[in-house]
Amino acid sequence: MRRSARFLIAIVTGLAVFTASRGAAQMGGPIKIGQLLPMTGNFASSLKMQRQGAELAVEEVNKAGGVKGRMLQLVREDDKSTDPGAVQAFQKLIEDKEMVAVIGSIRSTQILAMLPTINEAQIPVMIGGTNFSLTHQGSRWVFRHRPHDGFSAQVMVKFVVEELKKNKLAIVHTSDGFGNGGRDEVVKGLKARQMEPVVIKAINTGDKDFTAVVTAVKNSGADALVTYFTSTSDLAIFATQAKQQGLLPQMTWIGSPSITTTDAAKLAGDALVGTYGIGDFDPTGNPTAQAFQVAYKAKFNEDTDLFSAWTYDAVHNLASAMTHAPDLKPDSIRAGILAIKKRMGAENEYTFDERGDGLDHYYILRNVGGTWTVLKAVHVERY
Amino acid sequence: MASIGQILLAGLSLGSVYALTALGFVLIYRATNVVNFAQGEFLMLGAYFLFTFVEGAKLNYGVAALIAIGMLGVLGLLFALGVYYPLRNRSFLPVIIATIGASIMFQNGALAIWGSSPERLRPVLEGGGSGGVTLGGVYFNYQYVIILAVTLVLMGFQYAFFEFTLLGKKTQAISQDKDMARLLGIPVTGMIALTFIYSTILGGLAGMLVAPIFFLQHNMGSIPGLKAFSASIIGGFGDVRGAIVGGLTLGVLESFGGAYISTVYKDAFAFLLLIIFLLVRPQGLFGEKVGEKA
Repeated sequence: MRRSARFLIAIVTGLAVFTASRGAAQMGGPIKIGQLLPMTGNFASSLKMQRQGAELAVEEVNKAGGVKGRMLQLVREDDKSTDPGAVQAFQKLIEDKEMVAVIGSIRSTQILAMLPTINEAQIPVMIGGTNFSLTHQGSRWVFRHRPHDGFSAQVMVKFVVEELKKNKLAIVHTSDGFGNGGRDEVVKGLKARQMEPVVIKAINTGDKDFTAVVTAVKNSGADALVTYFTSTSDLAIFATQAKQQGLLPQMTWIGSPSITTTDAAKLAGDALVGTYGIGDFDPTGNPTAQAFQVAYKAKFNEDTDLFSAWTYDAVHNLASAMTHAPDLKPDSIRAGILAIKKRMGAENEYTFDERGDGLDHYYILRNVGGTWTVLKAVHVERY
Repeated sequence: MASIGQILLAGLSLGSVYALTALGFVLIYRATNVVNFAQGEFLMLGAYFLFTFVEGAKLNYGVAALIAIGMLGVLGLLFALGVYYPLRNRSFLPVIIATIGASIMFQNGALAIWGSSPERLRPVLEGGGSGGVTLGGVYFNYQYVIILAVTLVLMGFQYAFFEFTLLGKKTQAISQDKDMARLLGIPVTGMIALTFIYSTILGGLAGMLVAPIFFLQHNMGSIPGLKAFSASIIGGFGDVRGAIVGGLTLGVLESFGGAYISTVYKDAFAFLLLIIFLLVRPQGLFGEKVGEKA
């Protein structure tokens, strides 16, 4: 008898605590934002930067009073660096009905895998993947925080052909959603100028030996190399071997943004000196980026890069959208994001269009003695 | 012609790494009849140990390597005591599952200790600035040459050990019949622990050798581990020569396949060869001994 009474009291107390906490969450508890992160697997190298960028932005927003008087809270989930892992992590995040939006991923192939689930869930997802098709499939729920590969290929081909006067281009790309998309856009850009690439070589993420690729590029008679590498480690190994086997520094090389990352510089060292890269982010590119670099360095004692910049911007854009939205329903947040016009972020100036693209710029950079220097910022016409 | 030389050199060096890792597989298999799927992680840990002492503690390369080898030995002993010993009287399956578990644990442990950013370890020799020489149009990376040399020496050492020393013969006896060996007065437990220590060091050495080429990452051991496993099957599981020849064959095949057929399906060639061997010659190239044993 006594035991059952005690049991009853325990249940009642438990229920009371539970109800109280639910109430608190609805009244003034934190606003939950999910973040997909590669905590394990092949892309774990970008984990820290992506996590820290978002973390800093959340701290800034909360310091300034939060959104609608409530604090932001990040809920992180491991996407295991795989496509199924990303879908599972996304599903797990949205099971929590308090989740107002999700940030991630930066990898196009994972977003392609998640798109059906995203469309079904009808929740705003801030993405960093740059594959052209991601915002061109009619999804209302993805919002891109980096310029897409259609722009990057346009900028690279224009620069190499028109300014550097090269006409025999070799393409090396990672065999995945991002790399294949980039390759197609470069080929398209060349076709528009009645040109064709002299050689196209694909590689797999995690490859350790690029002798075959380097040899093929060398033997093709190419006068310039355009690359789309997804993984920074792959790029660094390729660069090191290309230098050892005499392809660099003679070859004019322009690479997609991974070439300008901190990790690439750390791993490949002087093999990258003299190469060109395009980047959507540069720490000196604009005043917001400069302030971001200062705050990030103060908090983490590390330099910023594109991985930290896009998650930083995603949190700030989301906070701005939620502040201006009447409530936190997905449709209201969506309208809030689409209302963002000419908002300066760490990357560049955000203006979201109906498709969900926020940016249309690229910086062209050159590695001068180990430091990336901005040559110019190029805005391209959106499509 | 020069490019063929370059591709061959790359294949042989990569093959040597597979071969070294495969040697570790073979040793443990010979002593315990168990496949150790954490062998690839020994490679990763060896690389990280060396990195910690060279880049972190700024020790001399040779001293750092010796300390790293010592640590690998201790790790091997702990591995034998923690993973193999409690399950030694069960069938081979629980032990194999335990090694897979240990492999996952090592990877995540490395991620927790050394972080997710890839790290760079400087090569042993950095002479001439780029760490290599160009001879007849072929670039000889010193590190590749060192890998080939160390593999050759270890191969000789291991062959001599098994064929000509009492200790090696005792190990073989244990692998053939543990109970009989024990009756003959061979200290089975100690010998097996010794085998684990030695194969951990072997795997770790492979990692220390490739670290400057591959860059250090918590998952750097998984693909070489898998390839080494394929190599030991192609060579004939349990055979020292088989591991070497299998590893080198795999490396060269991959390198030329990548150059002349497709870089994307490079990894597939290795596993295609494995499947062909499993179908046509399951005992591998030097497989007679395994046949006799069974």
